[in-house]
Amino acid sequence: MSAAPVQAEDWVGEDVTPADVERALWQVRDASSQGTEGPDLRTSVMTHLAWVPAEWREAAVDTLAGLRERHPSRGILLFPEPAAVDGIDARVSVLAFPQEGGRRHVAAEVIQLTLRGQRVKAPASIVTPLLVTDLPVFLRWRGELPFGAPELEQMVGVCDRLVVDSREWKDPAGAYRELESLFEQTAVSDIAWRCTRPWRRALAGLWPGIAEAGELRITGGSSAEALLLVGWLRSRLGRTVELVHEASGQIESVAVDGTAVPFPREETASSSDLLSAELDELSRDEIYEEAVRAA
Amino acid sequence: MTEVAENPLLAGLGPRRTPSPCALAVFGASGDLTRRKIFPALYSLACRRLLPEQFAIVGVARRDWTDDEFRERMEHAVREFGRDDFDEGVWEWLSNATRYLSLDFADEEGEDRLAALLTELDEERGTRGNRVYYLAIPPQAMATVVEAVGKRRGAEGWTRLIVEKPFGQDLASARALTELISRYFTEEEVFRIDHYLGKETVQNMLALRFANGIFEPIWNRQFIDHVQITVAETLGSEGRAEYYEQAGAIRDIFQNHMLQLVALTAMEPPIDFTAESVRNEKVKVLKAIHTPGPKHIVRGQYGPGYIDGKEVPGYRQEEGVPPDSMTESYVAAKLFVDNWRWADTPFYVRTGKRLARRETTIAIQFQRAPHPPFEDAATEELKPNRLLVHVQPDEGVSLAIAAKVPGQGMRLRTVNMDFIYGGAFRTDLPEAYERLLLDAMLGDQTLFTRSDEVEEQWAIVDSIVAAWKRDRPSFPNYAAGTWGPAGAKELMRRDGREWLKH
Repeated sequence: MSAAPVQAEDWVGEDVTPADVERALWQVRDASSQGTEGPDLRTSVMTHLAWVPAEWREAAVDTLAGLRERHPSRGILLFPEPAAVDGIDARVSVLAFPQEGGRRHVAAEVIQLTLRGQRVKAPASIVTPLLVTDLPVFLRWRGELPFGAPELEQMVGVCDRLVVDSREWKDPAGAYRELESLFEQTAVSDIAWRCTRPWRRALAGLWPGIAEAGELRITGGSSAEALLLVGWLRSRLGRTVELVHEASGQIESVAVDGTAVPFPREETASSSDLLSAELDELSRDEIYEEAVRAA
Repeated sequence: MTEVAENPLLAGLGPRRTPSPCALAVFGASGDLTRRKIFPALYSLACRRLLPEQFAIVGVARRDWTDDEFRERMEHAVREFGRDDFDEGVWEWLSNATRYLSLDFADEEGEDRLAALLTELDEERGTRGNRVYYLAIPPQAMATVVEAVGKRRGAEGWTRLIVEKPFGQDLASARALTELISRYFTEEEVFRIDHYLGKETVQNMLALRFANGIFEPIWNRQFIDHVQITVAETLGSEGRAEYYEQAGAIRDIFQNHMLQLVALTAMEPPIDFTAESVRNEKVKVLKAIHTPGPKHIVRGQYGPGYIDGKEVPGYRQEEGVPPDSMTESYVAAKLFVDNWRWADTPFYVRTGKRLARRETTIAIQFQRAPHPPFEDAATEELKPNRLLVHVQPDEGVSLAIAAKVPGQGMRLRTVNMDFIYGGAFRTDLPEAYERLLLDAMLGDQTLFTRSDEVEEQWAIVDSIVAAWKRDRPSFPNYAAGTWGPAGAKELMRRDGREWLKH
């Protein structure tokens, strides 16, 4: 596929029902395939749900744009507006990516739903009719997780994998304790955890010298990354490791018991790359779960 | 004990696919392959940080270039043929690792200079005596270089020898080359490239067959009517007349790519995905292949015609081709695999240059439904179920199934259920050479051809070519831009079948 879709068909509706959205999907898919040898192909590997509070809207749309070519499945973005009048507004887009020779398109479907007022309280009943049958459902939850809130409980109930980024949380240490309760309900991925991977690999390269580590000093990076790294080291080594962390931007250096860890030479990943990598994982990540428990 | 059991920190991190430090010496560095494939592949690997930090490349060829001239040419090549955007930083890293050595392959003193340069690079770049020799050279130079490199191999580090096709000209020459190589290198050190095996969709054939429970039970003579494999090119001899005149379609494509595709389609499930297990199963298929006789082989040569609306010359009018050339640019054959799974199930294969469209496809045609309970008129547009594996372009898999035409009554039509690789996964599939270069550096031979595999391939080709000496076909016998000679159609028609329509 090329970088840009050849055509994008849109449908916009106010105060709609999920059935209206389903009908609109058929219409725009049909319209986008006019002029090709056959109907657009919907090669689906998953449904990608995203819960996007207002402050995350722009970032979520940018990340989704970077994902389309890699995971052109059905994307459903939910924008909660609890203070507004009850109702659902929708925008349905089909982006048609040409295959070689332009004879066929692969279609990526994006459904943007603004959930207003009471509709915020029952999101599962709105998205369930729109899920692609029998395919895994990934839920990207932007920002803080509202533990105990009905919208989170319901959405966790429909997804196979919850993708969070604990760098977006104000108090990751506190949130990790509550996050544990979700591990038995759904597989959980954390983009912050993905960001620590090059450093974990670098630290693994120090084995067996690192087996008796007592202190991990991290300069730079978020509190979430630092907590996950030390949690990982504690859980893998089965011992107490003290964390000394100065938070800021990216991780600049890591030292174990005063000895610097070689800076990992790995590709810099964009937010789309990081989310894309999480969308390729299907099973529970027990190493992550243990790191969260020990963080 | 596994690596993870030894080091608990590795759990969950997945295997690391970065080779240990090494120097790569490319013989034939001034050639087209280095420019179009090898350097762009190295650049893509560098972009993904998949090359070792301590790495060096030495381009070796006769041309009298300096290091900087070579680097400049390779930079152009990467910009022109690379699949990634050009990044100054990545190129600078790769360029700094690159040297060039001008030498005549037969010149002993020159070979000593290469050995000295590689030793120097061990010091300078920390390559630790580990060597990958890539022989991208004409067949006539192969023995000289193998001997020169073999005599000078160091005691330190590991050595890998990548050998480009063609591996010999026939069974006797392939055996002689294997014998020569084995004087200096073990089989585990030799990596015979068939770049088709590096293609994602060729590897996907193994996933399709052995990771899906629904296919393997019906993957046999009871359910499959026949198999068709097409490797079609629209290009002509493209300035390679000297090589192509010696090779023809049978040595250029049939002996290697085509027979590999047959082997992957017909092989039994390997017990695991190690190099030995996979190659053992492929060799069994190659040993079992036979052609039912010369009548079932069709060869052709293209005359003038049209490709993409442009007039193109015939093969004999191409630069460097003798006007009375009898080299075949097309081969079609009916093959049988004599074993319990495939007895009496024909494999129809065809490959050619200047055909109507560039494509490589494996088509598995299943038996018709034994007794469809519909009126004849309802099923007249119905074809048997067909599983199509598209190797290139539009990589993917299609399954042709019957469906009811919407409306009154019962009319059935064949529709395609498509899986397009680029639609379901990341779109930028790695180039075959990236995968193969990396595998060779890592010492993984799964996607490389073993010596007995090559010998079995040549034995099949020799048996076909032997019959050709007795007759002189009337060439050219197909127009450029068509699907080949009429004889190929006849080959299928005699069996009541037809080639896939496109």
